[in-house]
Amino acid sequence: MSPEEKVLLIPKIENGFVIDHIPAGAGGRLLHLMQRHREFDNVLITLGQHYSSRRLGRKDLLKIQANELPSRFLQHLALLMPGVTVKRIRDFKVAEKVVMETPDLVHEILRCPNPNCITNHERGMGTTFHLVERETKTFRCNHCERHFTQTALTATLNI
Amino acid sequence: MKRDLISIEDLSLRKILEFLDLARRIEGMPLAERAHLLDGRLLGVLFFEPSTRTRLSFEAAMLRLGGRTIGFSEVASTSVAKGESLSDTIRTVEQYCDAIVIRHPREGAARLAAEVSRLPVINAGDGANQHPTQTLLDLYTLQHLFGRIDGLRIALVGDLKYSRTVHSLVHALAKFSGIEFVLVSPESLRLPEYVKAVPEGRLQARETTDLNEAIATCDAIYMTRIQRERFPDPLEYEKVKDSYLLDRAALRRAKPHLKVLHPLPRVNEIAPDVDATPHAAYFPQVGYGLIMRQAILASLLGGMS
Repeated sequence: MSPEEKVLLIPKIENGFVIDHIPAGAGGRLLHLMQRHREFDNVLITLGQHYSSRRLGRKDLLKIQANELPSRFLQHLALLMPGVTVKRIRDFKVAEKVVMETPDLVHEILRCPNPNCITNHERGMGTTFHLVERETKTFRCNHCERHFTQTALTATLNI
Repeated sequence: MKRDLISIEDLSLRKILEFLDLARRIEGMPLAERAHLLDGRLLGVLFFEPSTRTRLSFEAAMLRLGGRTIGFSEVASTSVAKGESLSDTIRTVEQYCDAIVIRHPREGAARLAAEVSRLPVINAGDGANQHPTQTLLDLYTLQHLFGRIDGLRIALVGDLKYSRTVHSLVHALAKFSGIEFVLVSPESLRLPEYVKAVPEGRLQARETTDLNEAIATCDAIYMTRIQRERFPDPLEYEKVKDSYLLDRAALRRAKPHLKVLHPLPRVNEIAPDVDATPHAAYFPQVGYGLIMRQAILASLLGGMS
């Protein structure tokens, strides 16, 4: 495939963000998550799926023509897909690049999976989870003190 | 800065030792002096679910230090029954008193109360989560009985899966040196892996289903009730409810200094004929509980440093 054809497949953006190294097939879920964040309502987003990747074999990527990414979205992203790369694009070039890591703290973006946790019963109350073991991606609810895997926590997002 | 007692997980070994030391000092204090430590102070005792013995213990502790108490022991007669939020209840009650003791059926409720209140908050049980004053009184009992906690061989018996008392005690004991645990339970009620993974590393623990082995080798046996209300499936409860019965005959193989503890109430797990043996320590444990709760109140309310 010539470089020209590649440009057609993945159009370059002048300014914005590229979320790269999304595991193949997971780009759709991420797009679905973005639709929950109202900041993206009028933003031009392009999803590319199943590109060749040296690291992953196949990968998805998203190009977002926005000036900023909301911090709540970045928290969701780090929790759901640690390992993806977020690149800031300025004048068609990569100006900044960050590999998302499982966060140490997840604040006010998730529901506690424990139905008896006070956070599920007190009006207007947020949640906080601390990472207690990075290897197993285990988090602890700051209130009910129960431990949850990242999978159990993000299951409450229903995406 | 105000201080709270919400979870045993929040306490360092040093802090635990401070509470034990304070309890010892209060116990050694002349009654006339002790009776005025918290003169003029008012404790809010908010029990959103019934627990007679814990409530009585806190109220007795406060009254015997010269303080007074207000509160409720069930929510039917309060604004909570009308739908008031916990935060609003706490912000209202804190206008009346100097510290708050809370028991609540929801896990994390005491933490929330501490977050919204400017007063010291003491957790007297939040659902299946924490009951830190029980753990501190258990430690005080052990120290009283043996003169030390380090190096004891302790059996935990019964419902090790659901018992919050056991989980908290394991985490607190793990902070001490050389504790050997013998974990005695039916297969279906074993101590969960996440409880075994204490911050200090792996527990030095032997797991068994045989209570007799524990009786013969341990310094202390901590019995627990198998609680019907913790079982999602009533059939599972029926299978294991009478798994362990400690009676006088079984204690014949015990070391002379073996002590039996229990958070109470007991049902069938300790036979009444154990009560008269020198091994029975569960009623003195209630008395040590009163002293420890006095120490906690005096510490958080500033009656003693």
